[in-house]
Amino acid sequence: MSIGSDQVVHVAKLAELAVREEDLDRLVSQLNRIVDYVAQLDQVPADRPAEPFLPGPRQVVLREDVPGPVPLARPPAELAPEFAEGFFLVPRQGAMDE
Amino acid sequence: MRGAATAREVGSRLRGAEPLNAVLHWSQELLDAEAVRVDAMPEAGPLAAMPIALKDNIVTVEQPTTCGSRILEGYVSPYNATAVQRLRAAGALVAAKANMDEFAMGSSTEHSAFGRVRHPLDPDRVPGGSSGGSAALVAAGVVPAALGSETGGSVRQPASFCGVVGVKPSYGRVSRFGLVAFGSSLDCISVFGRTVADAAQVLSAISGPDPLDATTVDRPPMQAPGPLPDLRGLRIGLPREYFPDDLHPGVAAALRRTEDAIRELGGELCEVSLPHSMFAVPTYYIVAPAEAAANLARYDGVRYGARRIGAEGDIRSLYRATRGHGFGPEVQRRILVGTYVLSAGYYDAYYSKAQQTRALIADDFRRAFASGIDLLLTPTTPTPAFRAGEKTDDPVAMYLADIFVSAISLAGLPALSIPVGRSEGLPVGAQLIAPAFEEERMLAAAGALERVIPADGEVR
Repeated sequence: MSIGSDQVVHVAKLAELAVREEDLDRLVSQLNRIVDYVAQLDQVPADRPAEPFLPGPRQVVLREDVPGPVPLARPPAELAPEFAEGFFLVPRQGAMDE
Repeated sequence: MRGAATAREVGSRLRGAEPLNAVLHWSQELLDAEAVRVDAMPEAGPLAAMPIALKDNIVTVEQPTTCGSRILEGYVSPYNATAVQRLRAAGALVAAKANMDEFAMGSSTEHSAFGRVRHPLDPDRVPGGSSGGSAALVAAGVVPAALGSETGGSVRQPASFCGVVGVKPSYGRVSRFGLVAFGSSLDCISVFGRTVADAAQVLSAISGPDPLDATTVDRPPMQAPGPLPDLRGLRIGLPREYFPDDLHPGVAAALRRTEDAIRELGGELCEVSLPHSMFAVPTYYIVAPAEAAANLARYDGVRYGARRIGAEGDIRSLYRATRGHGFGPEVQRRILVGTYVLSAGYYDAYYSKAQQTRALIADDFRRAFASGIDLLLTPTTPTPAFRAGEKTDDPVAMYLADIFVSAISLAGLPALSIPVGRSEGLPVGAQLIAPAFEEERMLAAAGALERVIPADGEVR
């Protein structure tokens, strides 16, 4: 299965990644190399069933949902340029300049 | 005042090791503060003022955490990783944050945004990766132990290249709280040590369940075992797929020496087969990028680190510009591959197939251990440390450096690498693999081998 430059551009868009025009040919070639390589999984014999592999404990035990202090070393106000009345202030959408 | 003396000594060694480029953040002031804290502890603790370096994807509040990436430049975590809190409670000093492949993606520590790490024995070679900075600091004698992280061999492989001990625990043995996520079903904080005993002590200190990580397993912390006096009664399997005919001659010779040592210590060797391990690298390079594409979606220029305004001036343009500029080439490749294998039309052909193969790989190990095998022995890497630049143009050639380590990560098993000799002056590692949560057996056997195998001896 071969990946073309249109497909790389489409996948980059899905991944929210700006790809520079001058990098496109190299990326197409490298992604094809990787995808061709991983395609060897087609050779895995399908004759032996195995239980799906689940990492970690068989049963995930969640901690009790009891509100408590947030264990931060620094208060939220120090984590962002602007913080007021319990909210982080960010630039208004559409109001960003170069 | 043991901490104060250690802080001065480690500071001097860190300055001496600057040419390695193994450190991203350290300061004498922070080291001295660590010393004051340690010296004020009512009891020394099991790690008694041991200085420890941390891979820069393990968060601390005092220093930046960059993951070797421009996209996290200037980011300082508001909380400490559980492993860091446990190290400190055990009396350790946090000495430095170590350089790494960006977001732990790489096998040579050439993919750091802050420059490559040099091999301590040959600056033209790589220390392995992605935890190459941590490995180099231990190998250079700057610290006796360091934390790294494994997603697909990123501690065992550099441990082998650098001639130190590298231990990956079972998935769920050590809390991932505060380890920046790459492949969440694979990631494990892991340990480097100059000796098996040092690595075991550190692993013991950081292991155990954590209410802040629901994937930790509810078992008591691992106890650091002493070395076994001999290997009588142990059956050690040699998986034939891990000893190909074209194995590097120096690696093959070092493994023969390790097999001889096992026989001399009374251990029994027998051949086994793990037929699906040959598919481990392609399986890994579907599963890990898929998980990475999801985990790295959070770096968007809004919540963390660097921000770049896009040409269109809207929010999506900001995301794309920030990520396109902030992520390096290997991270971009993996995000693209991960997004591709998860996208409609390709999910079954790639991701579902990889999950089925992962189950078969894990099942091979389960069957081998169920047949009465106590441990498995393999080479850790197919060659000793390679030259910088040798594999950077071909991503698949780089991925194959992990051919003997990635299956174990996919199966969630514990494994370690110990140095078993040198080939043309470069270290060679042997890998021991244990059933899940049998780290103590593996470390005790490695301790026995460490006593009889001259790690610095040239093999032929």
